[in-house]
Amino acid sequence: MKFLSNVPTTHKVFAGLVLAVLYALPLFIKSPVMLQIFILIFFYAYLTSSWNFVGGFAGVLPLGHSAFVGLGAYTSTLLYLTYNISPWVGMIAGGIVAVAFGLLIGIPTLKLRGAYFALATIAFAEGLRVLVENIEKLGPFEVRGPKGLLISLVGNSFKDFQFLSKVPYYYIILTMLVLVLILTFFMMRSKVGYYLAAGGEEPEAAEALGIKVSKYKLIAMAISCFLTALGGTFYAQLVLYFYPKSIMGLDMSYEIAFIALIGGRSTILGPVLGAFLLRPVGELTRIYLGDTLPGLHLIIFGLVLIIVMRYQPRGLVEPVSKWLTAIFDRIENRRRA
Amino acid sequence: MIGYIESVINGILMGSIYGLTAVGLTLIFGVMKVVNFAHGSILMVGMFAAYWFITLTGLNPYLALVVVVPLLYFFGYYMQKIVIKPIFEAEKHVREPITVIIVTTGIWYVLDNLALLVFGAEFRVAQTSVTGKMIDIAEMYFPVAKLIGAGITFLLGVYLYWFLKHSRMGKAVRATSLDREAATLMGIKQSRIYNIVFGMGCACCGVAACVLVPFYYVYPTVGVPFDIKAFVIVVLGGLGSIPGAILGGIIIGIIETVGAQFMAATWTEMLIYAFFLVVLFVKPSGLFGLRQDY
Repeated sequence: MKFLSNVPTTHKVFAGLVLAVLYALPLFIKSPVMLQIFILIFFYAYLTSSWNFVGGFAGVLPLGHSAFVGLGAYTSTLLYLTYNISPWVGMIAGGIVAVAFGLLIGIPTLKLRGAYFALATIAFAEGLRVLVENIEKLGPFEVRGPKGLLISLVGNSFKDFQFLSKVPYYYIILTMLVLVLILTFFMMRSKVGYYLAAGGEEPEAAEALGIKVSKYKLIAMAISCFLTALGGTFYAQLVLYFYPKSIMGLDMSYEIAFIALIGGRSTILGPVLGAFLLRPVGELTRIYLGDTLPGLHLIIFGLVLIIVMRYQPRGLVEPVSKWLTAIFDRIENRRRA
Repeated sequence: MIGYIESVINGILMGSIYGLTAVGLTLIFGVMKVVNFAHGSILMVGMFAAYWFITLTGLNPYLALVVVVPLLYFFGYYMQKIVIKPIFEAEKHVREPITVIIVTTGIWYVLDNLALLVFGAEFRVAQTSVTGKMIDIAEMYFPVAKLIGAGITFLLGVYLYWFLKHSRMGKAVRATSLDREAATLMGIKQSRIYNIVFGMGCACCGVAACVLVPFYYVYPTVGVPFDIKAFVIVVLGGLGSIPGAILGGIIIGIIETVGAQFMAATWTEMLIYAFFLVVLFVKPSGLFGLRQDY
């Protein structure tokens, strides 16, 4: 617990309280629709936190992360459908496949200027989507092109990663999110984290100090791709039916980047805050206004993004945490007094 | 054999129009080092403007140029001045201007979905005097609208080249792109150059839009495929290079049409992305790019 030594007690208590509330929530919320909204908030917070390793700490802008979501989902599902391998094992396999692809795209592009990296990741993600749409059969695997994959329902089964109730999914994704946030916390306080921060801000200076910036960026990319692919498997098991446009389209990649920037890039809680702000807007406008005003939630996303970037370029986590810290300080002072 | 020549020429015609949209993108990047992700949406705005002009007035489709090009110039000018400038200024000294890139993505989302809200998702076709007309040259058939489009592109390319090389304003633009600080010391007002360049980039989209409308569908997300092709083209030609953008566009056009002779159209799309990634591996500065630019 040496890492936690410099965190104030009130912060620890607050974090504990929030976690306790979130873990107890399914006891009070019975509506599957509400639970689904929470699951998707956590899912996007998880994806954005994974994105954050490369988009936040490595200081570049990846805009094709849905490709890794898709790689994770397709790998685990194809293994399950063809060889009946449990998706829990397939999840890890998907992560490894995603890392392989991530390194393939990262090695030539992470050395380049930010704009090139952003363009290259878009082209990679779109290229991969078109490729998958064109493949009907790959060796023993039935990829089924644009028709997508359907996982048949077998009922409650932990081995098959299928549950009839939403509650287990809620706990799985919440736990995944907590774990990735803890990993982010350790990463920020590790040598690699400091190297990345230095390399992101002043690459020449960092190189001059003997830091191999592109090596650490590649490490960040590999971690990010692995975690993102795990999220892909989760999503596949949650919805049980997906096709290339739904799981590796550009929209998901952009939404991840939007959430990160609105919440706050290269912070631990920015992605969570961003997901809690943006996802409900998306879900609620889609549910209540989707028929009459199509695309309204995307207009709101765009406008929120532009306004936040104009007035809070580091994201909303900065004013929110300032405000929370002020409250904590007052509590701390009152406790002492 | 004649079929191949026909498809190569058709590729060049369509490719030069891709090149035209890419020229706007590369112009903005060359000066501001910002990739304008909203570029395709601006093309979409231009296409809707041209579509309504043609449909409502019934005039010759190319007369729309007179209205749409200035309209998009001012659209771009004020978009830069009001939305992008404050954000650009804030991270002027940051090495990787990521916030600006993401803000242009936000603009893209707002524009595309506003169009969806206002005009609906249906595909529209402008009925003009050149729509669907073919011309027969040595037993090869070419759409008249594409021939005219390629001609206009060529003229615009020549004009832009002259403008940047010889006009006073063009020299100021080039000076700003080479060294912002030194240009400012010479009395060039940076922010005005940025506004003008953004306007010009968008005006290129306006020209492309007018040229496309007689033979292409108009719908709210029409910009997306052009946007992504323009990204591929500018990297291929070298970010910031105008001849590179036009040549890159022509290469992509040829891959598309000639590839379609051998394989399904969806595979040629794949081929373009693969080609793009190979270029990034082998020569990231593109065909005409300067080393310092990447």
